[in-house]
Amino acid sequence: MPNSNQLHEDLIQIVGEAGLLLRSENLQPDDQRSCYTIDGIGPRAVVLPASIHEIQEVLGYAADSKLSVIPAGSGTKLGIGNSPEQVDLVLSTSRLDQVLEYEPADLTVTVEAGIPLAVLQAKLAEHGQYLPLDPPYTDRCTIGGMTATNSSGPSRLRYGSTRDCVLGMRVVQSSGTVVKSGGKVVKNVAGYDLNKLYLGSFGTLGIITEVSLKLQPLPEIERSVFLTFTEIGEAVNVASEIARSQLLPTFLNLFVNGAPLTESPEPCLLIGVDGHPETVEWQIDAVKTIAKQNGAIGVEVYEGQRQQELHASMCAFPEGESAAPIVISRANLRMTDVAGFVNTVVEVNDASTWQVRAMGLMGNGIVYVAFSDFPDGDVPMQYVADTVANLRDAATNVGGNLIVESAPTALKRQIDVWGPVGRSFELMKAIKAKLDPIGLLNVGRFVGGI
Amino acid sequence: MKENDPLISELANIVGSEHVITDPTSLSVYECDGATVFKALPDVVVFPTTAQDISEIVKIANKHNVPFVARGAGTGLSGGMLPVSGGIIIALNRMNRILEIDIANQQAVVEPGVVNLGLTQAVQDDGYYYAPDPSSQQACSIGGNIAENSGGPHTLKYGVTSNHVLGLEVVLTDGEIVEFGGAVEETPGYDIRGVMIGSEGTFGIVTKAVVRLLRKPEGYQTLLGIFETIDEASNVVSSIIAKGIIPAALEMMDHFVIKAVEEAFHWGFPLDAGAVLIVELDGIKAGMQQQAEQITEIFNENNCRETRYAKDEADRQQIWKSRKSAFGSFGRLAPNYITQDGVVPRTQLPKVLRRVAEISEKYDIPIANVFHAGDGNIHPIVLFDERDSDQCERVEAVNMEILSACAEAGGTITGEHGIGVEKMDYMPLIFSPEDLAVMATVKAIFNPSGLCNPGKIFPTAESYAKLGR
Ligand SMILES: Cc1cc2nc3c(=O)[nH]c(=O)nc-3n(C[C@H](O)[C@H](O)[C@H](O)COP(=O)(O)OP(=O)(O)OC[C@H]3O[C@@H](n4cnc5c(N)ncnc54)[C@H](O)[C@@H]3O)c2cc1C
Repeated sequence: MPNSNQLHEDLIQIVGEAGLLLRSENLQPDDQRSCYTIDGIGPRAVVLPASIHEIQEVLGYAADSKLSVIPAGSGTKLGIGNSPEQVDLVLSTSRLDQVLEYEPADLTVTVEAGIPLAVLQAKLAEHGQYLPLDPPYTDRCTIGGMTATNSSGPSRLRYGSTRDCVLGMRVVQSSGTVVKSGGKVVKNVAGYDLNKLYLGSFGTLGIITEVSLKLQPLPEIERSVFLTFTEIGEAVNVASEIARSQLLPTFLNLFVNGAPLTESPEPCLLIGVDGHPETVEWQIDAVKTIAKQNGAIGVEVYEGQRQQELHASMCAFPEGESAAPIVISRANLRMTDVAGFVNTVVEVNDASTWQVRAMGLMGNGIVYVAFSDFPDGDVPMQYVADTVANLRDAATNVGGNLIVESAPTALKRQIDVWGPVGRSFELMKAIKAKLDPIGLLNVGRFVGGI
Repeated sequence: MKENDPLISELANIVGSEHVITDPTSLSVYECDGATVFKALPDVVVFPTTAQDISEIVKIANKHNVPFVARGAGTGLSGGMLPVSGGIIIALNRMNRILEIDIANQQAVVEPGVVNLGLTQAVQDDGYYYAPDPSSQQACSIGGNIAENSGGPHTLKYGVTSNHVLGLEVVLTDGEIVEFGGAVEETPGYDIRGVMIGSEGTFGIVTKAVVRLLRKPEGYQTLLGIFETIDEASNVVSSIIAKGIIPAALEMMDHFVIKAVEEAFHWGFPLDAGAVLIVELDGIKAGMQQQAEQITEIFNENNCRETRYAKDEADRQQIWKSRKSAFGSFGRLAPNYITQDGVVPRTQLPKVLRRVAEISEKYDIPIANVFHAGDGNIHPIVLFDERDSDQCERVEAVNMEILSACAEAGGTITGEHGIGVEKMDYMPLIFSPEDLAVMATVKAIFNPSGLCNPGKIFPTAESYAKLGR
């Protein structure tokens, strides 16, 4: 393995000065490199290739020098996964940030993977279109990162996750071979649907360099209805009634122990509606009627700037200082199991010295649980690990699962962040072994240590 | 194959001899799917009822080194279920139970042989439906839909089969029974469910599926526009999308199809019309009328001869029947037909359709068009007589030129029917050898012996030769 100076020189040969960020022992928090630090481990180097050719060269160099490679976009979701043993190279696509093909009337776009979602949205908005995804870090995340993690946000209720928007991609395999999957048109069943393999593979199967996406016209208007309740049960009832109704909400989110932009501790339901003004008005009225029948104590309709702030803050759940220790888990459940799971969350909160908050995507059966405000900033590791295990049991007992998306490193080392995968694991292992035979990419960080 | 062949008796031990077919006359029913020009006889057809049965059948096939292939309803249009090297057809007709309908969670658990429309019928009184709606939905099976990742007219708004399947139970090619995904939206690890969908029966046999059910929309508005030319109708398609309206469906029929359909079913279409467009809006009634008016305006701007509105549900069903029955009328046009299935960017539709017309003229082979215009998914119906070898040769050239035109326009060679045996040769038009090598690698993981549905999807040396590569 090359020493630091050698590494520096070698990599500059490939990507030039501008394509390299070197590891420094004491990173300032605002240092660009800090976002590529994984579980407290700074990479030996962050490389930012400016072309597919440079990516191939970097991969070849890494393979020859026995360096591990962690693919990245802007680094917002690098923390998801098992703690790495060591981090040699972080390979970021952030210099590959161009729109390659955009014909608005086709309602599709092809971009380089490193383009930030926000930049793309601005370009699409000029033509009255958008990519209907609102994942965490909407302001910073890249399309490549969203694809690799199959990101989604509250609006997945109406518009789905990244999986539902990706039409095709170009991927550099660890061998350096460039391959494509899917295509650029909205329907395509030629050959195997390998898009699905790369989506949500967390950088373990290749470097995604190009993505083709299906777009939506921007809705004419957007509104959010904010409902407050005294009892969680009432909020859950309203949510299931809306889910069963003719309404087509963009999101349907339950908040327990704190909602975005309010101090109110009561359980809240935040419902998004968009589209034609008449459709939106009709839905708001219908929501109000259902809410009143079910004991809502507060009903507010948000629009304009305020509605956008509310939406953004919801996507960023749980808000908080990034420096504070925090544990974020995500449970995937059937819709009818959410109420029971939320009760468990409340019990956990009552029994904990820290704060437990939850955001439930009620139409999707997804519940995010955040532990924060640990007294004196101290995380009682064993106790928290046991609590996570209890929550996971609550999810798996009803056929669901629970993934820990963010946690202090010490905690991550005590728990299995992904949880069990069952009998399909053998196939997953084989896929990794065949598509990354030299074991170069993000090794050990995915399910079962893949 | 003889009845006392050990393979046959072992199969009979599992499913009972009354559920094993070996006599040639009965076997001939299973020699093709909807792409009837391709034929191959299986040695035996078995009708299992459980995943366990299938697991044992697969193990027997492996033991005897005999190929096996699943068959749903046999409506496929690419020869997907064709037993090209003989062997066992595992027919799923008896696995046709809806195991669970869970309205509160908006999902159902079904066996693979359940007929697509049957699922919608089972839940419609609860106000729900199963969204993927291939035109063959009265016959095709959910298992077949999963294998082909089928679409339908309403794919435009609601997506294809892959967007509606949450979990699968699969008998892998070694006989192991494994579940992928589940009753929840996401499970940790690689999305093997997603890779399985659209694998054309080459990765194993789906024995159970958890599928989404959707709430029936509050209202519909269905418009039918009659145009003088295909060009005008294609412009309407682009204009609607460009206006920011995504209809639930946007379907087109050309003059050929209009005539055939009219002569067969007498829907009242003018025989001299150039194209008919069916546009359907669905969802919340409030605001829908305005959108319908916008569409009518676009119709008029493009020289629409006549616009008809479905005034009630019966009317709407009539319109859809005319569209979905189109295939039934092609028998009147020629003894044989092949349905092409290319997809192009929507803005390329007028150009590519003109090209299709030129190709038809060049080779003197009639081509009718009835297709999912909103998705840019064209279905040129290539009409011929398979007894005429000269025609057959020209048809091959026609197929090649149409699919090349789709590929050159930035599209693909199949949007919903799959590659099967029918389009293997054309795969190099859109995939490089490297792209195909990854697919082969993944296939080898799921199907290392190659016994599960061999001879599909991948181009051969001969294919490359045909393409002059
Ligand atoms: C008139 C007509 C209209 C059509 N319209 C459309 C349309 O609008 N959209 C569309 O997408 N298609 C359409 N099709 C094509 C066809 O109906 C679909 O491909 C359908 O999904 C095939 O289902 P099937 O049950 O008939 O499958 P089959 O033809 O029996 O089999 C198709 C493939 O699936 C595999 N398979 C079947 N069951 C299983 C299983 N349980 N596990 C693993 N593999 C399995 C088979 O091995 C084969 O490879 C149409 C066909 C016709 C004849």
